[in-house]
Amino acid sequence: MDAPLIQADCLTKKYGDFIAVNGINFSIADAECFGFLGPNGAGKTTTMKMIYCISPVTQGKLSIAGMDPRHDATRIKSIIGVVPQENNLDPELTVEENLQVFARYFGIPPRVSRQRIRELLNFMSLDKKENAKIKELSGGMKRRLIIVRALLNNPRILILDEPTTGLDPQVRHLIWDKLRELKYSGVTMLLTTHYMEEASQLCDRLVIMDNGTILMAGNPHELVNKHTKRYVMEFTRNGHNFDQQSFLPHSDCTVEIHGSRYYIYSDSDSILDSISKQHHITSKIVRSADLEDLFLKLTGRGLNE
Amino acid sequence: MNNAIVIDPPGFIQRVLSVFYRHYKCYFKHVVANGFPPFVEPLLFLAAIGFGVGRYVNTIEGMKYSEYVAPGLLASTAMFTATFELTYGTHIRMEYKRIYDGILSTPIGIVDAFVGEVIWAGAKGLFFSLAVLITISFFGLVHSPWALCAPAVGFLTGIIYGALGLIMTSFITEINNFNFYVTGCCTPMFFLAGIFMPVKELPVVLQKVSYCIPLTHSVNLMRGLVLGKLESFHVHNLLFLIIIIPPVVWFAIRCIKKRMII
Ligand SMILES: Nc1ncnc2c1ncn2[C@@H]1O[C@H](COP(=O)(O)OP(=O)(O)OP(=O)(O)O)[C@@H](O)[C@H]1O
Ligand SMILES: [Mg+2]
Repeated sequence: MDAPLIQADCLTKKYGDFIAVNGINFSIADAECFGFLGPNGAGKTTTMKMIYCISPVTQGKLSIAGMDPRHDATRIKSIIGVVPQENNLDPELTVEENLQVFARYFGIPPRVSRQRIRELLNFMSLDKKENAKIKELSGGMKRRLIIVRALLNNPRILILDEPTTGLDPQVRHLIWDKLRELKYSGVTMLLTTHYMEEASQLCDRLVIMDNGTILMAGNPHELVNKHTKRYVMEFTRNGHNFDQQSFLPHSDCTVEIHGSRYYIYSDSDSILDSISKQHHITSKIVRSADLEDLFLKLTGRGLNE
Repeated sequence: MNNAIVIDPPGFIQRVLSVFYRHYKCYFKHVVANGFPPFVEPLLFLAAIGFGVGRYVNTIEGMKYSEYVAPGLLASTAMFTATFELTYGTHIRMEYKRIYDGILSTPIGIVDAFVGEVIWAGAKGLFFSLAVLITISFFGLVHSPWALCAPAVGFLTGIIYGALGLIMTSFITEINNFNFYVTGCCTPMFFLAGIFMPVKELPVVLQKVSYCIPLTHSVNLMRGLVLGKLESFHVHNLLFLIIIIPPVVWFAIRCIKKRMII
């Protein structure tokens, strides 16, 4: 296998005494889509910021396309496109001007960038908004525009920090589609998200982080298969108490209780069925266990912050 | 996306100019509104001070009071515009508009971005002193073609006061605290720089203070150029401005770098 495009060894970031990223290791191959999941404050954005060289590495080693952020920040940044967590479009400029000005930061000559801007606005279905002011755009348009901006320099690495947070399902699906296209064209993507579906759909591999450390790493489907049971039955207590012991004879089950909600995991849906009959559970959901179940199992269902 | 453009990362000068270009573009989008103050403020000033106070002052160093005051305004306007641009302006770009979050995720680094800012402050100094020059020329207050060099002095003044403002910006986190710098430092400089009366009329201690103020040297130069009375001490004034630029800019960049690194 080729050398990884991005490699982190014992990567650490401290803000004063606070350790935001605590000695993590990962490596990302060329043309891979690599996800970072984790609750708020896990250190995902901080990790991304070290990769796109605006936050200096405190300890450990980071290599991006064979370059070191400490010495080659300019060159590294010229092959990266960034969709930051917070929109930061230039409010004083129009859509077109935002992109023109940004293209200059990359040293793209205006005659090249004009053409490219038109193509990319088309690609993200924003072609009618060329002359709009930023404050006239909806949340979804701003996000799409930021993606356009991140693609101006034809990046080898695309960093997506929660690209679809707060967007309606239509826009989200449009963005997923476009990201898939980019992935097939060979762009390496780093994706942070709180939508487990997004991660399962797009990521070849991902890590689940909490408190600055990596709890688990791998292909999302394999991780779910390996670390959770196949099915889960959810129901609400609705007044009467179930004795937790009474579920246990089914040796294959695991039970989680959170507030008044019960989660019973099993590899066999017929066992779940018989449990529900035995306890007269009427309003229940039986579904396949997914990444969200694994995520919550790893990071806990309580508030993290 | 198949027409891959492969571009080398831009060099230092190109990076600095691209940041400059951003400010230039934002400013000249609203050129009428933004150009209004430098053209009109000197009018008000000349009306109030030159022709008002001037009626009680016979002559000063052998000239009419308005002739004496007007060249100084070329310098003070450059100081104030550069100061505001790199204190309130930069602070707002940094904290409210979050411009740098975007800029710094491109090949532009902190040094590039803020050298661009300082040069922009110089350009505003140039533009504003040019505007004042045009305005006062309508009142017959410009006596020499040397005045065409005055905007260059405005540029130097803008660079110096831009950099000084940037030093403040790197320490001040609450926008209202800029008032201390502007009212506490810049306004006194305005009154001590020999715009309204010759520095030699000041008490000796204040004369020494005045000598240390960059604006004083800028005012002297402007007066020499606009009135066409250049003397050897003007070379000294010019050298003063040129020599302090590298250390002040260097220090400003150093301070803002500390502030920006997270
Ligand atoms: N500039 C900073 N100074 C001090 N602490 C910071 C700074 N930026 C982030 N942190 C802290 O570092 C930790 C990790 O933050 P980070 O933004 O990386 O989390 P995240 O995983 O992206 O969370 P979210 O899902 O909410 O975006 C948090 O506890 C945060 O409070
Ligand atoms: Mg984040």
